[in-house]
Amino acid sequence: MRTICVWFPDWPLAGMPEDVCGFVYEEGRAAGGETERVAAANRLARQAGVTIGMGRRASEALCPIATSKARDLGEETRRFEPVVASLEDLVPRIEVVEPGLVLIAVEGSLRFYGGEDILLDKVIGTAGPGARVGLADGPFAAYWAARTAVNEPNVVENTMEFLSRLDISVIDREEMIDTFRWLGLTTLGALGELPRAAIASRFGDEGLRAHRLATGEDRPVNPRPIPPHLAVEAHYDDPLESLDQVAFSARALSARLMNDLRREGIAPHRVEIEAESARGQVRRRVWRSADPFLEYSLVERVWWQLRAWVEGEGVEGGLVRLRLDPSDLSGRGRQLALLEQSEMGWETYDANRPEAERALHRVQSLVGPDEVLQGERQGGRMPGEQVLWFRFGEEPTPAERDPLAPWPGATPGPAPALVPPEPRPIDIEWEGGMPHRVRLGARWEQVVNWAGPWRLLGRWWKGEEAADRYQIVTSAGAFLVIVRGERTFLAGIYD
Amino acid sequence: MLTALAQPQKLPVELAPGKIVGLEGPAGLGLTRVGLSLLIAPSQVGTVVAIDARGGWLSPLAAWEVGVKPSRLVVVRCSNPRLWAKVCAAVLEGVAAVYAEVPTGVGENELRRLAALTRARKAGLALRPLRGQLPAGITHLRLKGRAVSWEGPERGHGSLTERQLSLEVSGKSLPWQELQATA
Repeated sequence: MRTICVWFPDWPLAGMPEDVCGFVYEEGRAAGGETERVAAANRLARQAGVTIGMGRRASEALCPIATSKARDLGEETRRFEPVVASLEDLVPRIEVVEPGLVLIAVEGSLRFYGGEDILLDKVIGTAGPGARVGLADGPFAAYWAARTAVNEPNVVENTMEFLSRLDISVIDREEMIDTFRWLGLTTLGALGELPRAAIASRFGDEGLRAHRLATGEDRPVNPRPIPPHLAVEAHYDDPLESLDQVAFSARALSARLMNDLRREGIAPHRVEIEAESARGQVRRRVWRSADPFLEYSLVERVWWQLRAWVEGEGVEGGLVRLRLDPSDLSGRGRQLALLEQSEMGWETYDANRPEAERALHRVQSLVGPDEVLQGERQGGRMPGEQVLWFRFGEEPTPAERDPLAPWPGATPGPAPALVPPEPRPIDIEWEGGMPHRVRLGARWEQVVNWAGPWRLLGRWWKGEEAADRYQIVTSAGAFLVIVRGERTFLAGIYD
Repeated sequence: MLTALAQPQKLPVELAPGKIVGLEGPAGLGLTRVGLSLLIAPSQVGTVVAIDARGGWLSPLAAWEVGVKPSRLVVVRCSNPRLWAKVCAAVLEGVAAVYAEVPTGVGENELRRLAALTRARKAGLALRPLRGQLPAGITHLRLKGRAVSWEGPERGHGSLTERQLSLEVSGKSLPWQELQATA
């Protein structure tokens, strides 16, 4: 998908004097174990050697007289809003990644404008000076095209080739970058040439993501289906007028959305924020994140956006409705808790893994082919008869007893989970024709209740005796028992 | 999180990839069916195995009844404790999930190795020792059978219909609690 990225590298610097070294820092890991890194640096600071992503202390060492300040994303969003609005006049539904960085999908507006070049010119004209513009396939490549653009827009025709030249550090996963470098993989191209399966088995999910980026697949090629009704909406009978009220409701709604999504085991890459004022004016903005949104990151963005609207043009009459609509859902991005009800755990499992067959053949060689079995249902009156066993890897023999026939007199109720290969003798004490006690190992268990008898006519022509079946319930469990003449047998345990 | 429940409910336990669930208690308290029901979700996506260590007692009927896909369930019979760990490891190498009865005589070290293999292979493993308990620190979740009561039979009339289990649930990052469930 052709994407334009517009990046204002100096956006965070607003209000900073130009004639002294200056930079803005944000929280984030940087080399040397620093926890604050440079988000933007002015010309003088750059000349002194300060670069984006460098640690704060390292930058201050390079430029001791620099003025520095912490990044205020809310304020930046507020200032950025008019830029986004004017870009949105050109192309609808642009995506904000952060203040100073937007992505524009080209496809929809190509026909309207008559070509990429014309659209690109219009975007550059609208964005104004200070913007760096990149055009490539997919958001990741477009972003790096913009990052590497200098004065001219960077139009990437061959995205794969462009990506392959990028340094490995662009994958933005510090530990993995070090390992890749140590392995001699210094560019995305070198990473992309390795087999994906090998990368996935060595580096897991994160490795897979890096490999996808390196091979130009910005997003998993097989996006998850979007469950319906995931958007959340809140109506406010009393319009929210103060920023505090808006902040509170934004937080609550974001938390609700993420809670719903968590239950489904997903996290969105994109969220559309829609707000309606009491005068009926509806505003929408799409925010995007390369990593799926987590609760705090979503809360932040919703808050920045609402603040930008409230403090910018204002929301006339107050806010009466707020809606968050997630899209571009990802299955990754969070750890499932052990007991969470979710089907996602097994979703990524490849059903056609050849390993299963191989593993079971190996087991056959360990225990013998007669001990590795599959079953099919067949007819019968006793649980033991109702399974047609066959060796794993072989075709079942045709069922002797038709499973679809009615089988009157079959043992009722659920099937016992444990069925002895042959009925085992068991001691039962009777009182007045009713079961009274059962011997389990060394102890006698009182019979709590029982059902039966159900008569079982044996195949008399084969010399089988008739028998009676009982379901006997004790406090230690329920048992299926056969009484044949004077003797009693255990035929199943309802375990 | 599980909460202690006054009213019985469906058992809210699942076997996730890479997780190990222990099921402890004598036969009769309902744990075999619980263990087999853990294979339902993985059987939708891959092969699952039930290891029978009682010498041919394990019936797949119960597994099919709870919803395990018949074509995906393989029963392996192995009651020899010296061979059992090898068999279990070989199975874990390839299949999605395993319900394994553990015969007496299987060493703690072997169980720990299997646990590590389960995590590495992202398989699911439900361990059901035939006697005694599993060593500490192996399972993510441990279910202990406490009691079972059956509904249906009435002094000769009716037949077994539904059971109510009382289980003790404990696990990593879970407080001990007792759970009533129909299963």
